[in-house]
Amino acid sequence: MVWQAELEELRRREEFARRMGGADKVKRQHDAGRLTVRERVETLADPGSFHEIGAIAGRAGYDAEGRLTELTPSNCVFGRATLDGRPAVLVGDDFTVRGGSADATIREKPLMAERMANEFQLPIIRIIEGSGGGGSVKTIETTGRANLPGGVGGTGLFNYTTLNLSAVPVVGLGLGSVAGLGAARLASSHYSVMTKSSAMFVAGPPVVARLGEDLSKEQLGGWEIQTRSGGVDHAVETEEEAFACARRFLSYLPSSVHGLPPAIPCEDDPGRRDEKLMAAVPRDRRRVYQMRPIIESVVDRGSFFEMGKMFGRSIITGLARLDGRAVAVMASDPFFYGGSWTSDTCQKVVRFIDLAETFHLPVVYLMDCPGFMVGLEAERSATIRHGVRAMAAMNQCTVPWCTIVVRNAFGVAGAAHQPAGRLSLRYAWLSARWGSLPLEGGIEAAYRAEIDAAEDPAAKLAEIEARLNQLRSPFRTAETFWIEEIIDPRETRPLLCDFARLADPLRRPEPSRLQMRP
Amino acid sequence: MAESPVKAEITAAVWKIEAGPGTRVAEGDAILLLESMKMEIPVAAPRSGRVKAVLVAEGDLVEEGQVVATLED
Repeated sequence: MVWQAELEELRRREEFARRMGGADKVKRQHDAGRLTVRERVETLADPGSFHEIGAIAGRAGYDAEGRLTELTPSNCVFGRATLDGRPAVLVGDDFTVRGGSADATIREKPLMAERMANEFQLPIIRIIEGSGGGGSVKTIETTGRANLPGGVGGTGLFNYTTLNLSAVPVVGLGLGSVAGLGAARLASSHYSVMTKSSAMFVAGPPVVARLGEDLSKEQLGGWEIQTRSGGVDHAVETEEEAFACARRFLSYLPSSVHGLPPAIPCEDDPGRRDEKLMAAVPRDRRRVYQMRPIIESVVDRGSFFEMGKMFGRSIITGLARLDGRAVAVMASDPFFYGGSWTSDTCQKVVRFIDLAETFHLPVVYLMDCPGFMVGLEAERSATIRHGVRAMAAMNQCTVPWCTIVVRNAFGVAGAAHQPAGRLSLRYAWLSARWGSLPLEGGIEAAYRAEIDAAEDPAAKLAEIEARLNQLRSPFRTAETFWIEEIIDPRETRPLLCDFARLADPLRRPEPSRLQMRP
Repeated sequence: MAESPVKAEITAAVWKIEAGPGTRVAEGDAILLLESMKMEIPVAAPRSGRVKAVLVAEGDLVEEGQVVATLED
């Protein structure tokens, strides 16, 4: 063999790369219950499909004769692979090499991963641990100078973390302690998952302790903190579950904004009518009910994939299928403030509608919204500004839209149920009710003089309430065509499947005018 | 199993205590009802057991995440 010596050298260098940060560091990773980056990539990808790029990039040592003695690989491992048969870019931090920090990364590697996703129009999954290639204080000594974040003339990596949100599906997996740039790369995604033993923070406990907060990793950035704050979408027990979530999320999406979401054969009857829906909403208006079983009942069986469950909880968001076609589902959860939109909820709605718009997913909204949240805390958190922002997201989106008014539609948030400037489909359940203001409290405001003048104000209030209640039957609204259709709730699935079929040819496999933000 | 806390998921006023101390509850049973936006929102038992203590009274304002009752076996 003419090039035998060189081939052997290549294999030797690859072997160094496979050793990562060395046996001790690998053992420490395993002892902590975590996979190494190479195990992660192999587990996530379809078996044998991972093709690595730049494995032998790293820091080499040579003897006096110039022969290679050692090679510490870069702590960024990336390449392409298939997930359920579809190509994607995988990029992972190797925590066994300098805790994943920048001085061992070779910045061009994570940058090329992002660029490859962008230019080859492929989803990217970031497997993040440590500072995610971010700087460490040590860098000052190794480079002999302090780094001005952002560099000269702009930063390639931050450019692509922004660009890719409007180009390809981006999934972030936080597996371990994730800080600084790692946290930024995790949060700047369409969907993020962490394991419950992981933590994410801008800066970890030692930095925070210097500011007087003595907290453990878990207390500072554990899963309960991050999923409730909306920093991370989902938390799971094991890394394998995190990989399953990533794959499932991607299964509903096109590989890039230049394609349409893939449809699959539907094994559930599109005409299925679920008798339970007739009893799903209680007659007693003060009583709440479970929305998730309603979602499960109307979409293709087993297809609902919830995202961001712990944040902005008066709205449930997730992906699902109708007659095999992928759709974005929003639904109210009356267990949280009766389904009222808090500022958190509004932020969740904005991000979710933007996701649907970016990837050409028709939206289904199962609505039960008594309004924007009211009260001092609601005012303090600028609910109305976040609320009109959510309405703007709805009004600016161009994907097909269908709303089912399940129960309440009140106030300004009551108007936030369909894009304002174009036609969408809308159906009201028999249990639907609406108004500019709830009668309770609304009567006191509007009929103040009449009530005050009455001999028995309480009786007067009750009398007015009874009078108005008679008038607010949804059938009276339908008489004047203020609601176009009232339906038997059991018809919901057939009608939604019909909507998905109608929506099919309206989707356009081209970038939206919207430029998505995290 | 030892004592477990029951937390309110939302900030709201306590409307009604449904299961006082000593009551046996199954997972999902309402221990108390909160009132928010004119609706009654149950605070449910996270597991089956006996209500050991209810730490709030009707009319109290509770915060999201606040422990409102405890369960024991």
